Amino acid sequence: MKIAVAGKGGAGKTTVSGTVARALARAGHSVLALDADANPMLGVSLGVGPEQTELLLGVRQGVEAGEVEHEPTVEGMVERFGADAPDGVRLVVANRIETENPGCQCCGVSPDQLLRELEDGGRTVICDLEAGLGTVLRLAPGNADVVLVVANPTAKALEVARRAVAIAADKTEVIVLANRVRDDADLEAIAAAIPDRELIVIPEDATIARADRDGLAPIDLDPYSPGVQALVALADRLAGAPVPA
Amino acid sequence: MVGKGGAGKSVISGTMARVLARDGSRVLALDSDLLPGLSLSLGAGPDPPEPPLREAAEKDEDGRWRLKKGIGPVRAVRRYATDAPDGIRLLQCGKTPREGLEPIMGAVNAFYRVVHRLERARTFDDWALVGDLPAGPRQVAFGWAPYAQTFVAVVQPTAQSALAARRVVRVARMREGARAVLVANRVTGPADVRHVEKLVGESVLAAVPADEGVARAERLGIAPIDHAPASPAVAEIERLVAALAGG
Repeated sequence: MKIAVAGKGGAGKTTVSGTVARALARAGHSVLALDADANPMLGVSLGVGPEQTELLLGVRQGVEAGEVEHEPTVEGMVERFGADAPDGVRLVVANRIETENPGCQCCGVSPDQLLRELEDGGRTVICDLEAGLGTVLRLAPGNADVVLVVANPTAKALEVARRAVAIAADKTEVIVLANRVRDDADLEAIAAAIPDRELIVIPEDATIARADRDGLAPIDLDPYSPGVQALVALADRLAGAPVPA
Repeated sequence: MVGKGGAGKSVISGTMARVLARDGSRVLALDSDLLPGLSLSLGAGPDPPEPPLREAAEKDEDGRWRLKKGIGPVRAVRRYATDAPDGIRLLQCGKTPREGLEPIMGAVNAFYRVVHRLERARTFDDWALVGDLPAGPRQVAFGWAPYAQTFVAVVQPTAQSALAARRVVRVARMREGARAVLVANRVTGPADVRHVEKLVGESVLAAVPADEGVARAERLGIAPIDHAPASPAVAEIERLVAALAGG
């Protein structure tokens, strides 16, 4: 199965990706976590730690530096440049932008290409997309079996989520996550912006907030907090395919 | 304005622009983000369904977008910027439509052509330009905000936000003549400020407090300065404007 996670920056994509990846791995699945953001952070919510996340080499940078010979396969790149995260999750950073004029991003290995070409082959690929809608627009049917759209109860995040749902729903299954819901009014605001869809509610959660603050994986801090539990339940549901429309 | 998504770039950009305008500056607000944000935080309402700059673009013989003849940055701002409160002019690249980028490619192209020529247009020498950039380091790395003398990195007291700020500040400082400053946002006290400073490795120029008035404005999609003009957050952004002007 291939899962892509989309939404506005700050909506909680990385927390969702990291926690669902860990929950799937704990349930015995083989999990490859693909960080497709040029500002890669997935290592943090997987529990690798901020400083260690900073040291992970992007596949694109590794290939450009000539660290693989000849024409590398996607599996070879993942093998060569991936890193181990807790619970046996394999973490792969696609690309990082950290200098001025970092070269044409359309050329060379791209996050889109990695997501497209990685076969699920009995494992689960979960991909933390770059913020915004560009990645969702470029997503081809078959690149992901399901897109998780992360919504927050703010006007801007809802507008982005609404558009992401509309774009992704033409291509694949979509599941909408109502993240950081504090009360009924928050949930109603999300339901009003994205009507006629089941909403998976991830409640506002002090554990997740503390994990964000300190750069820890929420599932390490408290696997039984309400927010983490909601994500674990989501992982169970995803693992139990088929995903309902 | 740069930083991680959700850090508060649009809120601080929009409020700074309003404060500058109220202080008597002529303000051009530049929205380089394909996602909605700045217009709401400025108090200019939702984005127009079609970006006005679309009218400024045409394709050349080879099918490449260019600005229409006779349209330079001054004329583009006069014709295609829209009005925001306090006399601000807002120029925006356009928002991604459901059908994809194709319908707005002309506008996006025109926007960046104008943006790249702003610094050479003397008309704007005494204007304040406030640009709200998309999340992450991409635009800074590629030099898509060449008018910027100062990059303001907005950072929340979270590890990811701090990591993002540290990365973008490093890239911004590679650009000749640009300075980068750090602004903490949504801090609940001095411990949060110390946390941010420790994570990023430098001190902040301003610390905008977590503020229920701003949070409400965000949920409602209106400008914080209209919804909560007397809030501590707006007061701190006023201090930030003064600090930036002072040096």
